Amino acid sequence: MVYRSKKSLINKSLSGSKRLCFSAFLGVCTVAALALSTVLYAGDNGPCLECHTKPDKLKVSEKAKIDPITGEIKVASMLVDEATFKTTAHGGSDFFCVDCHQELDGADLTDGHKPNLKPVDCITFCHDDPAEDYLQSSHVKLMKEHNKDVPTCKDCHFGLTFHDSVTGEKSPMYVPMGTNALHRKLTIEACSFCHQEYFDGYRNNAHGQVTSLGYTNEDVPVCFDCHGKHKILNSSDPESKVGKERILETCGKCHANANASFVKHIEHPQIKNLSYYNALLNAIKNGRSDPENLKKVLKNPQTILCIVFVMYMGILGFTFSSFGLHSLLCWLAAIRDEYRRKGHSDEEQH
Amino acid sequence: MNTGERGIVMKSSTNFLRFSFFHRFCHFLTIVSFFGLVLTGIPLAFRSYGWARWLYELMGGYPTAGFIHRICAIITLFAAFLHFINLFYNISVKKQKGFFWGPKSLLIQPRDIFDIIGDLKWFLGIGKRPDFDKWIYWEKFEYLSLMWGTLVMALTGLILWFPVQFTKIIPTSVASIIDLPSIALIIHRYEAILAAGFIFTIHFFHTHLLPEKMPVDEAIFTGKITEEEFKHERLAQYKRLESQHKLDELKVPPPSLFVSFITRLFAVPILITGLVVVAFMLTALLVWAI
Repeated sequence: MVYRSKKSLINKSLSGSKRLCFSAFLGVCTVAALALSTVLYAGDNGPCLECHTKPDKLKVSEKAKIDPITGEIKVASMLVDEATFKTTAHGGSDFFCVDCHQELDGADLTDGHKPNLKPVDCITFCHDDPAEDYLQSSHVKLMKEHNKDVPTCKDCHFGLTFHDSVTGEKSPMYVPMGTNALHRKLTIEACSFCHQEYFDGYRNNAHGQVTSLGYTNEDVPVCFDCHGKHKILNSSDPESKVGKERILETCGKCHANANASFVKHIEHPQIKNLSYYNALLNAIKNGRSDPENLKKVLKNPQTILCIVFVMYMGILGFTFSSFGLHSLLCWLAAIRDEYRRKGHSDEEQH
Repeated sequence: MNTGERGIVMKSSTNFLRFSFFHRFCHFLTIVSFFGLVLTGIPLAFRSYGWARWLYELMGGYPTAGFIHRICAIITLFAAFLHFINLFYNISVKKQKGFFWGPKSLLIQPRDIFDIIGDLKWFLGIGKRPDFDKWIYWEKFEYLSLMWGTLVMALTGLILWFPVQFTKIIPTSVASIIDLPSIALIIHRYEAILAAGFIFTIHFFHTHLLPEKMPVDEAIFTGKITEEEFKHERLAQYKRLESQHKLDELKVPPPSLFVSFITRLFAVPILITGLVVVAFMLTALLVWAI
């Protein structure tokens, strides 16, 4: 019963364009007519790879895949690189295509299998443990209450099988571990597809500037170290890792003796986000009629960061333009003097 | 370009001492630590560019680059400490005068305003180059901005180094409006770009890369300056010392060819490194502008 409800929940999330995307993604099994009549059984990848490694044997070797969030159309290949597949998390010797693509268990492949398979269900029979946490997350809550497209397993754990990741990197076997540097790097990018503003802020901060230089080991936090892995909750939720109740514990994991003032730190400074400047200017403009709003904007710790940033841009601009001009003029005058002196001494010689 | 003039300058055997060993040593410490700080720190400020990643890896990556950065920061603080101890000793123990007022002072004096006007006239070709005293106005500006910059960088750097300890001293109600580590990071980053950009362009072009000095002003390394250079650069000081009969005290033998060679061997690669970093930063500016 429990499993059933989870399954329906996931199916619900895969409605509309999402369904199309996943069916396309998994349409790998649209097989061309095989020379031999074959029936698929668990325990053998041979019949699948027979066609899915050769484009001329497939009826459809590429399928359009629509990104549910950006609406971007991508082309997903139906071909499998066996060597790469073997290095992935599901590429072990005791693991087979039909374990995930269950619809095809026992399918008759004489004329190829039916197109547009159901999306793979990761949680019902295998990964019910992280799913338990995931189903309680704010993402799923959004989906239930507002019917929003939210990330499901494969949006973060892309590249688990033979498919390329969104960022073009192949994800090797032990990657879906929170301890793996490549997985940590890929998840930052995965979160950024939706949370661009927070991603930009993170990149501007001490933690994010190190990870953007390519270092993503465990001693520098990525998104999920602070926000949680599967049970990602909005900071207003009392159980949230970044909420009032648990923030001391979260920061304290790395910063021993983190105190109440320390955890007020702005981890996503918006110094390059114009909307904060517009909000400040508008608040000042309407300061007389709406002093409460002005007070609120001025009390936002982001405001002071924006002011410091603009101040420094001014100092940089002024210093380099004035002293740059000074250096240039100084140089030109020195060369002019020398030229004159030389010309003068030349005349004397004549 | 000016081999003719350099030829004459090099031949001159009358040399004067411009910088004492102490000041040369402090400048050396500042160079070494400043380059260590810039090379390990600037990649973080330009983190989204390929060259930054390359440079960061070259400096040992995380966390090695960070350790180098902190060691260099300690060297910078040590140089600043030496400077102020020396200043304190000269003023209060040796009772030397003229640090705060007069031609020997590094603080801004009324005569600097006339020097600036005179210099501007010279730039425009409507006057002669003014006769400067011991410190030219832009040298004073560089000194004062080094002092100010070191103070700002040290304070913000320490906040970033010990964020937990620094935030402990401010009440939570204040911390929720004034986020000390974030402010420190922004100031530290843009003050660093200001300092690196200033030293590698303005300071380099005002002193070492002037047409008559190219490629390096050896005075800060050997301590010595030829009579011709002295008269050309700081005629007012020369005349002042001459009238006070103090000129002979400063006379020193010219630097040996070996010392000159070592100076160039050290200074030229460092100057080039600085210019390369500037070129990197300019490409970032161009990419951003386009």
